[in-house]
Amino acid sequence: MTSKDKSEGVNRREFLTSATAATAGVAAAALTKPVAAQQAGAETGAQMAAVAPPSAAAEAMENDPPAGYSEQEAGEYFVKHPGSDFMVDVLKDLDLEYITTNPGSSFRGIHESLVNYGGNSQPELLTCPHEEQAIAMAHGYTKVAGGKPIGVLVHGTVGLQHASMAMYNAWCDRAPMVVLGGNHFDATERRTGVEWSHSAQDAARVVRDYTKWDDAPASLQHFSESMARAYKIATTPPMGPTVVIIDGHLQEAEMEGDAPTIPGVSPTQPPHGDTNALEEAARWLVEAESPVIVVDLMAHDQDGVDRLIELAEALQAPVVNQSGRMNFPNNHYLSQGAGAVAQADVILGLELYDTWGTLNTLRDRVHRDHQPRSRPDARVIDIGVKDLFTKSNYQSFQRYHAADLSIAGDAQATLPSLTEEVREQMSRARRASNSEREQRWRTAHEQTHSFDLDAARYGWDASPVSTARLYMELWQLVKDRDWALVSDDGQQSRWARRLWTIDRHYQHIGRSGAAGLGYGAPSAVGAALAHRAEGRLAINVQRDGDLMYVPGILWTAAHHQIPLLTVTHNNRGYHQEFMHLQRMAARRQRGIDGSSHVGNELNNPAPDFAQISSGMGVWSEGPITDPKDLRAALVRALDVVDRGEPALVDCVCQPR
Amino acid sequence: MKQKLSAAMRALSILGLALCSSLSFAQDTDQGADEGRALFTANQCWQCHGHEGQGGAAVRIAPTLYPFVAFAQFVRHGNLMPAYSPNVLSDEQLRQIWEFVRNIPEPPAVEDIPELSGSL
Repeated sequence: MTSKDKSEGVNRREFLTSATAATAGVAAAALTKPVAAQQAGAETGAQMAAVAPPSAAAEAMENDPPAGYSEQEAGEYFVKHPGSDFMVDVLKDLDLEYITTNPGSSFRGIHESLVNYGGNSQPELLTCPHEEQAIAMAHGYTKVAGGKPIGVLVHGTVGLQHASMAMYNAWCDRAPMVVLGGNHFDATERRTGVEWSHSAQDAARVVRDYTKWDDAPASLQHFSESMARAYKIATTPPMGPTVVIIDGHLQEAEMEGDAPTIPGVSPTQPPHGDTNALEEAARWLVEAESPVIVVDLMAHDQDGVDRLIELAEALQAPVVNQSGRMNFPNNHYLSQGAGAVAQADVILGLELYDTWGTLNTLRDRVHRDHQPRSRPDARVIDIGVKDLFTKSNYQSFQRYHAADLSIAGDAQATLPSLTEEVREQMSRARRASNSEREQRWRTAHEQTHSFDLDAARYGWDASPVSTARLYMELWQLVKDRDWALVSDDGQQSRWARRLWTIDRHYQHIGRSGAAGLGYGAPSAVGAALAHRAEGRLAINVQRDGDLMYVPGILWTAAHHQIPLLTVTHNNRGYHQEFMHLQRMAARRQRGIDGSSHVGNELNNPAPDFAQISSGMGVWSEGPITDPKDLRAALVRALDVVDRGEPALVDCVCQPR
Repeated sequence: MKQKLSAAMRALSILGLALCSSLSFAQDTDQGADEGRALFTANQCWQCHGHEGQGGAAVRIAPTLYPFVAFAQFVRHGNLMPAYSPNVLSDEQLRQIWEFVRNIPEPPAVEDIPELSGSL
């Protein structure tokens, strides 16, 4: 491909004008914007700051051969309007605030455009020392930002291979993101050696089993439309990652041919449950003696939480929050433990990751057997999007369960209709029974709270530090602030959910998706990035095994000045695997005395996370083994975080 | 008078025997608890139940909530926990572990821990 005469190509002024005019944003209706036809007048101040029209001198410099070069030489040496500049316009139009990346030559063209043409703003590049971290950062960000995705830029080959596990987490957790992968399609254009190793015939294949959609555009117009499609598909429930492979030549070569346009994104309204089915569901719930709501991956934002409160209170039905998202305030009297399912006659499941597992327990024995958790006559209503999109190979869809009433639809979008139907159908007699139900659940909630407080005192002064003590020492310092827990407490006996007051959606980030290690630390940094804009204190209780996968993310937090308080739950091993090894040894009657550490411990030598952290430029303190030393260290760390920097306290803890 | 003295001597003897027996039992218990701690550690009971038996991945077991018979039943025929047979843990070892966990001191009350009592 050779550069074309400027009369046939895209004039830079027109090109830039189109970029500014094309920022109607993803919330606007779909627009088609022919670049050449765009004129000044539609730009916004913010976009103008990022993409200013060239001065007359600059334009002359771009349109005339540089001094000392013939036109032919200039054509050999220089590119006036690289395709990747247009790609940046497309990214700006999608309103991607950030792109996480680990640099790679297969996308050097767009890298340069992002930095110089795009001004490294909207999107801003964030450097990650590993692609797995780049994906997990995007994963954490979107969960805090209400499903608004950011971009990730990686090699289409080795980069996507590094990224793949983290993408599987995002897939299982229904987290949207748009991943760009560099590649070199034309074999005759590849540099010898590594550029061949970094090229693929079908680059996205490596992650196709756990992405919603991918494409490999052959032209800039194709790229523009595929990016809009990728964004739209990623953010439509069930959300998930999408991939667009960008050709190196398309990035680096002179734009030519017809002027490309930016189509914009028309957001897809989330799928809503069938009205007749909701009417039936409401009837079952209203007539039930003991309805129970179980909820997992439902609330996209605070609206989802508020809508669930309305339904639960209308029914006076307890809510069992499986906490894939923060769905329901834990201080609400209808927030109840999993045991509530046992006495239910109607169970309403909302975006359950595992319906069968909600209703059954499978014992880990030589011959695995299962026992029901619910009454045999309990009827199950399952509302969610899991049947709308799934794939075959990876088995994250869980064991099949035949619900009595299965309704396809985004549960958060569907809840208002269901609640309205419940209210309409509720008789006076049924409404009168609500006060008795309310009292019953208030009593149960208070008993559970007292039980949890009592449980926390055992091992209170122990060394290593009990995880309950760790969480309550933290709580004393953060409870009166605007805080957000950007880690999952599932491996720490759920102490935050048991002892803290969590009543806002953003205060608990939920699970990783597929439990793939290497998620925790970078997702916490990504979430902290989203919280930074809100001025919130982000708190990460960080597992040691997870941090050992991805310590480099500490550097990213320091480099980009992302304030985050990290406290390690350092039990010096892969604790889950200790227990699995024990189970195998007991089952085979060989005993575990003296052998359980093999393959499991992170000890001898114990990783010094404080040193690792300070080596990455993050303030740190520890290891702390005496619980009496913890509070003061946390106070010092908070001082650092309040200055806008990350800090880490290494706390040696009990296993769970 | 002689009969009274004899009765007093018998009472003292019984008391003395009882004291000796009690002391001996306490020593046995302490020894059992020490050995129990070593077994508790070596057999990794703490991985699920915590170093102080406070619970974690599995239930709290200290200070022990169960008589030995029930404790042994849980260990030998656990519902969710793996079954530890006598080939792995003898009855004597199991009793020593039980001695250890039942002697773990009771922690302060919630009311005496400001970080917890503030949430009451």
